Amino acid sequence: MLIKYWPAELNIPFMKFNVIGVSLSVLMIVGSIFLLATRGLNAGVDFAGGSVIELSETETVTVAQVRDKIGGGLTVNSATGSDGKRLVVIRFGELDESLLGPEFAALPDEEKEARASSVSNAYIVNELKRTFNLTDQQILRNDSVGPKVSGELLWESLIALGVATLFMLFYIAFRYSWSYAVGGIAALLHDTIGTLGLFSLLQIEFDLTTVAALLTIIGYSMNDSVVVFDRMREVRRKYKQMPGAEVINLATNQTLSRTFLTAGAVFIAVLALLFFGGPVLQGMAVAMVWGIFIGTYSSIFFASAIVLALGTEVNKPSDEIDTPGFQGVS
Amino acid sequence: MLQFPPWKVLLVLGIIIWGTLIALPSAVNMSGAPSWLPKKPVNLGLDLRGGVYLEMEIRPEEVIQGRLDVFARDVRSALQRTDSAPLIPHEIEITGRRMAVKLMKPEADGSYPAAAAIARIERVNGPLEGGLAGGKTYLVSQTSPDTITITVPANSENLMVADALAKTETIVSRRVDPDGVAEISLTPSGSNRLILEAPGEPDPLRLKDLLNRDGRMTFNLVEDSPSAIQAAERGVVKPGYRLLSGPTTGPLLVRSIPEIVGQDIANASQGNDDANRPQINFRLTGNGARKFFETTRANTGKRFAIILDDVIMSAPNIQEPIPGGNVRITGDFTIEEAQDLAAIISAGEMPAKVQFLDQRVVSSTLGEDSIAAGFMASIVGLLLVGTLMVLAYGIQGFFAVISLTFNIILVFTCLVLFNATLTLPGIAGIVLTMGMSVDANVLVFERIREEQRAGRSAWTAVQAGYERAFVTIMDANITLLFSAVVLYLMGSGPVKGFAVTLALGNIVSVFTSVVVTCMLTVFWMKLTKPKRFAI
Repeated sequence: MLIKYWPAELNIPFMKFNVIGVSLSVLMIVGSIFLLATRGLNAGVDFAGGSVIELSETETVTVAQVRDKIGGGLTVNSATGSDGKRLVVIRFGELDESLLGPEFAALPDEEKEARASSVSNAYIVNELKRTFNLTDQQILRNDSVGPKVSGELLWESLIALGVATLFMLFYIAFRYSWSYAVGGIAALLHDTIGTLGLFSLLQIEFDLTTVAALLTIIGYSMNDSVVVFDRMREVRRKYKQMPGAEVINLATNQTLSRTFLTAGAVFIAVLALLFFGGPVLQGMAVAMVWGIFIGTYSSIFFASAIVLALGTEVNKPSDEIDTPGFQGVS
Repeated sequence: MLQFPPWKVLLVLGIIIWGTLIALPSAVNMSGAPSWLPKKPVNLGLDLRGGVYLEMEIRPEEVIQGRLDVFARDVRSALQRTDSAPLIPHEIEITGRRMAVKLMKPEADGSYPAAAAIARIERVNGPLEGGLAGGKTYLVSQTSPDTITITVPANSENLMVADALAKTETIVSRRVDPDGVAEISLTPSGSNRLILEAPGEPDPLRLKDLLNRDGRMTFNLVEDSPSAIQAAERGVVKPGYRLLSGPTTGPLLVRSIPEIVGQDIANASQGNDDANRPQINFRLTGNGARKFFETTRANTGKRFAIILDDVIMSAPNIQEPIPGGNVRITGDFTIEEAQDLAAIISAGEMPAKVQFLDQRVVSSTLGEDSIAAGFMASIVGLLLVGTLMVLAYGIQGFFAVISLTFNIILVFTCLVLFNATLTLPGIAGIVLTMGMSVDANVLVFERIREEQRAGRSAWTAVQAGYERAFVTIMDANITLLFSAVVLYLMGSGPVKGFAVTLALGNIVSVFTSVVVTCMLTVFWMKLTKPKRFAI
């Protein structure tokens, strides 16, 4: 089908651009770290705790109406109550200070911290009552909820991720060589930091959905790097005298059609999530679109450049791994 | 790799059909389907359904105290008079983590028989459970001429706490979920904590009530004489008796030493009496039934009390000796109360009281409309990816889409089979394996194209394509499988949910994207016998 129109022999000298590529990457990493240090992440209810308000759905009080008319970045969902009635569920953490009025802004910082949650809650309740003419009875539930993910749990998860990364490092070092391992892990960090930077820049709410997106991006980044490395290893073993930059160029060109197709397929899948997934999943979708983009970019320009700098040599093939593929007639 | 003998085809088809049947209830409501079809849908986690989160702990001191109380009985009987040894008079006092056995009567020469007492106590001091090299459970030593002190060494304490935690875990799960059908998840955390997640449960108080009870069930004989009860109410309790009361019986004087204890009860369940009111039925073990028969025969005409955690549930008259060991409690119960009580009685006694550290009602991260929208987006995404694959690779792309579909289905099959819980990060794990599954197919097809360009015939190009791409696919999958296993073992909460589906999806995707697609390709080639592999 259409893939046959893809040129059979491509010869793009990717490694000529590696200075530009690495510079862009370094710029993005430094920018992301700067953003994370200054603006930080916008922790959602899952991480920071906050309030849950439930209203019973009526003709005027609907999920869409609440989303439209009440500001402050609320998460609004529909649900069915235990009696079968339709509910509008509103979840939010601490609201932006500008919404909470001059009285609150004048408080000392400690007071602010202690009262932000309750003042936010009062503000939203007030807004809801004013906008939809609600009585107290129509607010079915107004509770403060604790974080779903405690600090302890987050810390445990980070350690687990760190150890998992170490395992990947050793596995790639064993199958390829140390320079590939370093390149792959660098690309992984590149993509993770870059995505976190985007969260900070756009102040996307950091909740369980975005954690899910982040884990997916890490996995995608690793998969993409390994596939490109695999071809580099093959080319390296085939042409023992070839300079490193050419090995990388050849391998990247040979896998380019695959890279475009796979990245394209995943890309349209996350675009579908962005356009049809509804407002709650939007943060997740934005993260994935960006993550897939930089994940593909980093395999070609960032990971490869590091491997080039550290040496494209690979471990000697052991017989069981590298039976030259194919024993049939030719 | 391209050989598909009939057994292999049957195996692949069998896995696919069987897997689809198991996964089906997760997508479709199967309540109207024939009874032989599986009905169990996949468990949804707290983040997809909302529910109750409880964190609890047991205190090591209490565990030790409970064990020392039990050991005190053994010590007492070890120092009784037997055929070959005399009684050693003693008093036992338990304070905190130590037990002091004070010898009351010196020998003729003024010394105390401490050595003999220690030897007899050591005989009932069992070896360390699971311990190596013959350690003993308790440390028995003489601390003064007339006092023997019994303490719990650190390694023994750790074992006791671990044992108590395991027992608590079993009891908690039996109480909350007596039939084993609810989707609760119970995870030990640290050395003495448990985390209970009950998706779909709206009321944390009901769970706490259920778990707050000790669950100590006994049958004790009742002293009925009105004068003794009146004396007890004035504060003069007849020795060997206790004054307890219950909602339906009022205050009663019962014997301190029970006739039947929790261990004699085999199980309990909620039933209905003749007037169709809820009651609790229970069955005694063989030993318990014998004891109960003896007691009822010796005490016909008297009353006995059924006591749960020092509250009298019921105090019937013994009209005749009761054989068979079937007992029931009638009372003013709702069905739910009767079910909860039956669950508590069946589950047995807690080794130590649970303390609640954290209690949260969690609302789901995604509401129903978001889940519906996400589902819609997945369908659209799958259709778009399918279109792209077909546009790029024609019929082969179509085969890839088929195997991708089975990839998703079989991941659900595994989740149902392993009774795993699907969480939001878990869905992300599935999405990632779908991406890898597409990638695996693309890798194979691109490789076939290359091999064909290098001048190979259709069959050899397909063979070489699969074999060479397989190395790449395995490297990529093993790398991620490694990290999924590490994340599963070390992570908790959201990371664990992701790890489960990633690991399962990884294994499934190798099967679908290599075996299933390859089989379809081979059949197609046998059917059309192409000179060149059109792709």
